[in-house]
Amino acid sequence: MKRSFRTIAALGAVAALALTATGCASATPEKLTIAFVMGAESDPFFQAMKVGAEAEAAAQGVDLIWQGDPANYSAETQLPIVESVLAQQPDGLVLIPTDPVALQAVSDKAVAAGIAVANVDTHTNDLSKVVTFITGDNTDGGAKAADAIAKAIGYTAGKTYEVVIGLTSATATTNVDRQKGFEAAVAANYPGIQIKDVAYSESNPEKAATNVSNWLTKYPNLKGIFAIDGTNASGAAAALQAKNLVGKVALVGYDAYPANVQLIKDGVFTALIAQDPAAEARLAIKTLVAFLKDGTKPAQRDVVIPNFALTADSTDAEFAQYTYVATN
Amino acid sequence: MANSKQATSAQTTSVAVADRLKGMLSNQSTILVGVMVLLVAVFGSIEPKFLSAATMNNVLTDWGSVVLLAVGQTLVVISGGIDLSVGAVVGLSGVISAWTMVNVLHLDSTATGSKATGGLLVGLLVSVAVGVSVGLLNAVLINKLKIVPFIATLSTMGAALGFSVIISSGMPIQGPANYELISAMDAKTNPFSWAILGSALVITIVGLFLHKSRFGLYTYAIGSNTFAARAAGISVEKHLTKVYALSGGLAGLAGMYVYLRLGAGSPSSGTGRELDAIAAVVIGGASLMGGIGRLWGTVLGALILFTVQSGLIMIGVAPDWKKVVVAILIAAAVAAQGLQKSNRRS
Repeated sequence: MKRSFRTIAALGAVAALALTATGCASATPEKLTIAFVMGAESDPFFQAMKVGAEAEAAAQGVDLIWQGDPANYSAETQLPIVESVLAQQPDGLVLIPTDPVALQAVSDKAVAAGIAVANVDTHTNDLSKVVTFITGDNTDGGAKAADAIAKAIGYTAGKTYEVVIGLTSATATTNVDRQKGFEAAVAANYPGIQIKDVAYSESNPEKAATNVSNWLTKYPNLKGIFAIDGTNASGAAAALQAKNLVGKVALVGYDAYPANVQLIKDGVFTALIAQDPAAEARLAIKTLVAFLKDGTKPAQRDVVIPNFALTADSTDAEFAQYTYVATN
Repeated sequence: MANSKQATSAQTTSVAVADRLKGMLSNQSTILVGVMVLLVAVFGSIEPKFLSAATMNNVLTDWGSVVLLAVGQTLVVISGGIDLSVGAVVGLSGVISAWTMVNVLHLDSTATGSKATGGLLVGLLVSVAVGVSVGLLNAVLINKLKIVPFIATLSTMGAALGFSVIISSGMPIQGPANYELISAMDAKTNPFSWAILGSALVITIVGLFLHKSRFGLYTYAIGSNTFAARAAGISVEKHLTKVYALSGGLAGLAGMYVYLRLGAGSPSSGTGRELDAIAAVVIGGASLMGGIGRLWGTVLGALILFTVQSGLIMIGVAPDWKKVVVAILIAAAVAAQGLQKSNRRS
């Protein structure tokens, strides 16, 4: 007797739950929720991306869950964040995988749970199940840097020019791609440019300044510096100013920090190669929302947003579009 | 007779001279100066441009910021502790003083030269205040909450890094600048800058405190034997508070030095510098066990560290090898000290 009562009670509870669930499903379509898991909050690149993501989420009328590790760009810290975000059952997930292999399983899990997934900046190895993959073109950015240096030094075939590259580390993939793009462009179009040396700043602008100061002593005829990221750009700019060599050595940097954009106007930077992380985020959210609303897939899954060379001749609109915005 | 007397006295003199020579040779400072001369000779023979005022300026400019951290670290290490937060304090103090100059004083990068002076002085005070605050926080964690220095300063290091990123959005904050203060007084003949001389003055004062005052005596006493120091009536907690506050204050000063160098407060501008400081302290002969160390050794240790780093760039060593060479140097320095001590005992 007792047991059958319990069974009835349990059945009743299940039925009640089922009714509630159908009640929810049949109500007017809820506001979509898009989760956005990026690499490292401390990176200005992701700060700029956040601005774009928030603007697009507001424009599309979707709820945005913005998540990521405060400082560490690593799979170990990102995995649990993605798991906890999935537990909130968003409709879509924009993921910036910090590792192409390590994040694959959790990405597949999201797809299996019916969540639409987009990759931005970096991607997991298997892209077949993602709605879209949007990235900046770092190799192209490196080539644009070579063009900017060649233009600044008035490159003439038959002459030789000494140039150095300031890197952050041997392993950062963005560094590697930019360096490859730069070297390929030099080999193809500017054979007179000799890349004399490279050095690492280890993400510290003062160390970047040290590297450049020593190069300026070793190579009195140095014509150009390619500073491969924002940190190297800041350090190289400081070294040129301390040695009173502004305008005498062409400096092409990367990443449009507001401080460095100001230094284009002051003539310290010949050019700054800028990415457009905000545009990447906007497009990712827009594409996911279209897909979630009526199944529209983008014309092409993979989208490459080219890098852009900001120079003193750039328009105010271009400066406004590419300069990173501080969120605090 | 007279002759033999003369001979004996000559003998005693020569023995005394030999003893003194032996003493000098086993003296840490002499060894460090010798290493320094050797390094300069090697680098200079491979790349003659290394022997120039410009190179000296490059080395001294790097030395000027890290030596401040290293000197503070020396006090902490002699007292038997460690301060891992100093690198992060460089970033935090630089960012907060830049933020203050820009948002409170409304000075931006257009304020240069003498127009920047007032702002930079305020920035200096803010930087030091930030550093001292973090140092006091370290002292509270160590004295009141009884957290070991390694963990206490590791946690303030993380917090300082986090705050500097929050305040700056991860990007450098550009403020008033005066590159004349950080540039060589004369690029061809005088490698010193006002900033370098400022650092040298500060470490001289700290050196007098450490080696010529009761403050120094207490620091050594606590590091050698905390129980004995306490029994002798030294207020250990009170003294350690001063030591960590001083280390923090010097790190704040270094933060302003780096600000001057970059013309901006950057959250990552102290990344890894705590390790450079500890390396300088160890090369300089201080013992991480506490109670042993000379400020002069640390000063030379920092100079050697940056001579090597500049030298390796100047002679064109591939960047991947640079870390290896610096690591070997540190290991060799510490090993040499160990051998020297065991020789002295035998």
